Amino acid sequence: MTVTARLLLGLIGFFFLTGVSLAASAQAWLPASLSIQGFGTLGLARSSNPTADFVRDLSQPNGATDSFSARIDSLFGLQANYAFNEQFEAVVQGVSHYRYDASFSPELTWAFLKYSPNSNLSLRAGRIGTEFYLMADSRMVGYAALTVRPLGDFFGTLPFHYVDGADARVSLPFVGGVLRGDVYSGMASEKLPLQDRLWDLEHSRLTGTSLEYQKGPWLARLSYAHIDFHYNLPLTPLPELLRATGVPSAAAAADALSVANTRGAFRSLGVVYDDGHLQMQFAVARTTRDSVLFEDDHSGYAIAGYRVGQVTPFIGYSWIFSTPKSLNTGLPNTNSTFIALNQLVAFNVANSHSDQHTTILGARWDVMRNVDLKLQYDMQRGTPTSIFPARREQIGTWSGSTNVLSLALDFIF
Amino acid sequence: MKSPALHHLLLTLLTTAGLLMALPAAAELVVVVNPKSGVEHLSRDEVINIFLGRYRQLPSGISAQPVDMPASQPEKSLMYRLLVGKDLDQIASYWSRLVFSGRTSPPVQAASTEEVLRFVAANRGAVGYVDHSRVDNRVRVALEIQ
Repeated sequence: MTVTARLLLGLIGFFFLTGVSLAASAQAWLPASLSIQGFGTLGLARSSNPTADFVRDLSQPNGATDSFSARIDSLFGLQANYAFNEQFEAVVQGVSHYRYDASFSPELTWAFLKYSPNSNLSLRAGRIGTEFYLMADSRMVGYAALTVRPLGDFFGTLPFHYVDGADARVSLPFVGGVLRGDVYSGMASEKLPLQDRLWDLEHSRLTGTSLEYQKGPWLARLSYAHIDFHYNLPLTPLPELLRATGVPSAAAAADALSVANTRGAFRSLGVVYDDGHLQMQFAVARTTRDSVLFEDDHSGYAIAGYRVGQVTPFIGYSWIFSTPKSLNTGLPNTNSTFIALNQLVAFNVANSHSDQHTTILGARWDVMRNVDLKLQYDMQRGTPTSIFPARREQIGTWSGSTNVLSLALDFIF
Repeated sequence: MKSPALHHLLLTLLTTAGLLMALPAAAELVVVVNPKSGVEHLSRDEVINIFLGRYRQLPSGISAQPVDMPASQPEKSLMYRLLVGKDLDQIASYWSRLVFSGRTSPPVQAASTEEVLRFVAANRGAVGYVDHSRVDNRVRVALEIQ
């Protein structure tokens, strides 16, 4: 049994045990309560460029091409909250979305116990959402957002939705607003599809912290997080072939292709202005990675929407640019084997390159309470080498640019 | 020379305007707390923090439990329009973010004004809002919402 499974079983057992005892004693002041709620999206998206698949994020192995696909944005989530009393609450959430194994198999996204002894402190343990970027822990809830999906240039290369661990949040009133500090740490347990194989993020520790201040319509958030990867990318047999050459520099290159025990670090600043009918968001991020297989990037986005009656037209702009890395095998291009090895190394090193920006136009229509309809047009412009955020790109044909038309129906209940 | 009729009309208009300034709105919302809460007054920022789930503590140190009017009553949409300039669809969207990130819960939902008053009367940390005309000695007015 994996550590995750044991942790979750233990947690569920704890819920039941404490549920029985605490629920009984809680009735004196506030009855224990169970609530079940859900959210979902029925989405259709079509990309004008069939030479690469347009995906919501890197957790999807394939996505939308030049015919309408319901795959990338459609999802369904169910959440149960059980409040034992004012201080203890258990939350379990499962989401079915198109994921790494090309299925809609439901995943357990949250399963935690929350303890809030007072308004200043909140502690959670179990499977918790990661909010290393502003609003990252509600990425799946279309009804909560203006756009059909989180902006791809900013969120698309972030595959981490949850960790098995714990977090602590401190909230303090400060000149009329609220100052919040957050720390969390846990093990990632998701998987990423990479070149028709899976990269396992299990046992990779993700640790982060953030500081935010909210007052009136303003919210500003600074955050830092890093992940220490446990497993290598599934590159077999490339490292083995490099070592088999017997050339020391090639063996060193094979070592450099190792992602295990390397770190990826994420820094971001986000600002939200949300006043009445006007909504604006702005965020920038800087990501650095030790491994030669992942480039360092700058990304960001800005969105503004203004609600008129039941309709909120919006406009957005996002970008991601990464700096190429290189790895020299020291193998001379003198025979076909060495040439092939050098090409394969160069291909893998350039595989995480991003160089694109996107302009987004759209509208959200609040059809009725708890239901919205959205129409959105993404104009992505990039270079042919911008392949990290895309899937199944045809090298040599893919231009880096596409226009994506999306339609979504979001609901909560 | 002004005619007596015009003079009378002007006087009436001025008196009405004066009355309107003294009584700014027909439906006046007030935020109410429990008389034993230790709270005399809440600021607008504190009410926003409590009702939007940002920080739920009363100035007296006890934790705040907000209670909402039913959406079918005009007080609820008036409250959020005056407080943050948002309609109830926007408030529903706002809460979906916080609920499904597992962070916090929306205010307790009452079924009527009487239920709001009873909830506030029964819980020391409770914070509700009702039309000014419905205030009685079970609760204390902590803020007029304008």
